[in-house]
Amino acid sequence: MSLLEVTHVEKSYENEDVLRDVSFAMDRGDVEVIVGPSGAGKSTLLRCVNRLTEIDDGAITLDGDPIHSLDVNDLRRRVGMVFQDFNLFAHRTARGNITLGLEEVLELDHATAVDRADAYLDRVGLADQADSYPAELSGGQKQRVGIARALAMEPELMLFDEPTSALDPELVGEVLEVMTDLADEGMTMLSVTHEMGFARSAADTLTVLDDGQIVERGPPENLFEDPDHDRTAAFLGQLTDLGQ
Amino acid sequence: MTDEPAETVTDPTEERASLVEELPARRRLVIATAGVVFWGWLFARWASHNSVLDSLATALGFPDLVRSGVPVSARTGWIPATPFEAIADAATGVADALGPASPLLEWLVWLADLAAFATTTAPALAEGAFITVYLTILSLLFGLGIAIPVAVARTYGGRLLRAVALAYTELIRGTPLLAQLFFVYYGLPLANVARGLGIDGQPPIPRAAAAVAVVGFTINSSAYQAEYIRSALESVDPGQVTAARSVGLSKLQAIRHVVLPQGLRLAIPGWTNEFVYLIKYSSLAAFITVPDLFARARDIGSDTFQFTDIYVIVAAFYLALVLTTALAMGKLETAVSIPGLGQSTGRE
Repeated sequence: MSLLEVTHVEKSYENEDVLRDVSFAMDRGDVEVIVGPSGAGKSTLLRCVNRLTEIDDGAITLDGDPIHSLDVNDLRRRVGMVFQDFNLFAHRTARGNITLGLEEVLELDHATAVDRADAYLDRVGLADQADSYPAELSGGQKQRVGIARALAMEPELMLFDEPTSALDPELVGEVLEVMTDLADEGMTMLSVTHEMGFARSAADTLTVLDDGQIVERGPPENLFEDPDHDRTAAFLGQLTDLGQ
Repeated sequence: MTDEPAETVTDPTEERASLVEELPARRRLVIATAGVVFWGWLFARWASHNSVLDSLATALGFPDLVRSGVPVSARTGWIPATPFEAIADAATGVADALGPASPLLEWLVWLADLAAFATTTAPALAEGAFITVYLTILSLLFGLGIAIPVAVARTYGGRLLRAVALAYTELIRGTPLLAQLFFVYYGLPLANVARGLGIDGQPPIPRAAAAVAVVGFTINSSAYQAEYIRSALESVDPGQVTAARSVGLSKLQAIRHVVLPQGLRLAIPGWTNEFVYLIKYSSLAAFITVPDLFARARDIGSDTFQFTDIYVIVAAFYLALVLTTALAMGKLETAVSIPGLGQSTGRE
């Protein structure tokens, strides 16, 4: 059974179709990268998976359960999310950002939560920044805290919404490194990103989304070397040019 | 500007920097001394006529240490008026000798007379200040307890909750405070309720009117505080709420753990404003028979016909209360500021 199954999903905002008949499935351990021009519906698709946005039609299942039959907070506990703008809690330290969910949602006691938070900070290479506040961290460090915060909930699926788009170029590498390690360790990842290097090296599947529809989907090398659609070739060509 | 030699550019800044470093230390010392003298005197005054301390001291075998039985009008000051009167008399003599060309001396005479008058009226004003202080603090804190839920309801509530909270704040902010006080004191039988609860004016229990005033100020202040807090809550980045929801926190948990801790910090400057207003607005309690600072001044004015003098003196009392509040809240703001954010290092 697929871990995530998206079937004929439709979503519109005020008569504007954002997602049109989107269907795909991911198995446990799959790494999927979604690319597409801005306004294609990439972020909306991610937000539908953890119900930050509700779909209008179709179905999404997580490990066989329709997500609408699950308690929404329980669903979100099982699906981690990393944001473009980090969205760290400004009044809490790096450690405090992680312990909040552990204590309030998983109801771990404080000492256990702190231990687990420190372990995940160590995993993203920030053991020495546990007591720093977000405003004292660089963009790359903030995003790694954001990843650790999501990972510490020990989710079954991780959503990445353009995790490196708000970063200065020299800080992108440290975040991609963490994501690549995560992919290697077998985490199931659904990632919107324009980092083609990551897509080529880490992704099992690359999906091109345009105008709310899946244009083409397949192994990255196929899409790069031998795309079926002109739009895929044009779009990936643009991204690759920009990256060089 | 770029042509100018470097010396003329650097020298003035160095001078200014040294002045800036020097001044606060000296100024801080002056402010701290004035504060310690004023509050030390005020607390000593309160303590010396406090009925709870009186019963405690009597039980310990010092029946004369604290005199709560002395009526306010019979209390005497600790600072003698005679030196100030002597200065006034001497200055009057010199001024008379110099003739009309001595406006400065006449000011000195007035100031000395004012100081002498202040020493005799201070005990009554201290008693009034006690009521002003507890009216303000109680109303502010009870008001805060109402304001936080109202502000949350206005920011995050559904349509009905938002409408109810909006109606409450606009009704309260849109009507005069004095009208609200008269309504709760004369319009509602709240004073009788208070007396029924045992608030009857027997020391150390305040009079029923004071309890009613607290109710009135609480309601009024809560509406204003709610507005300050609402605008602060709205300036908390909504992305953080999304992040909190995405790890599985409920909306209420996200508000409690993410929005309020930041929003309430941001609300401190506005909230200080409301605190300062309330200190002064609490003088309206005099109109529903509460013997607060303003009521004492008004009564002394009626007795002595020295209205100008007593209102100048009572203004100094209010100023001292307001400045203390502003300083304390500034300290609080710094103490709870988030590292890397806020005034200490400048906003990013």
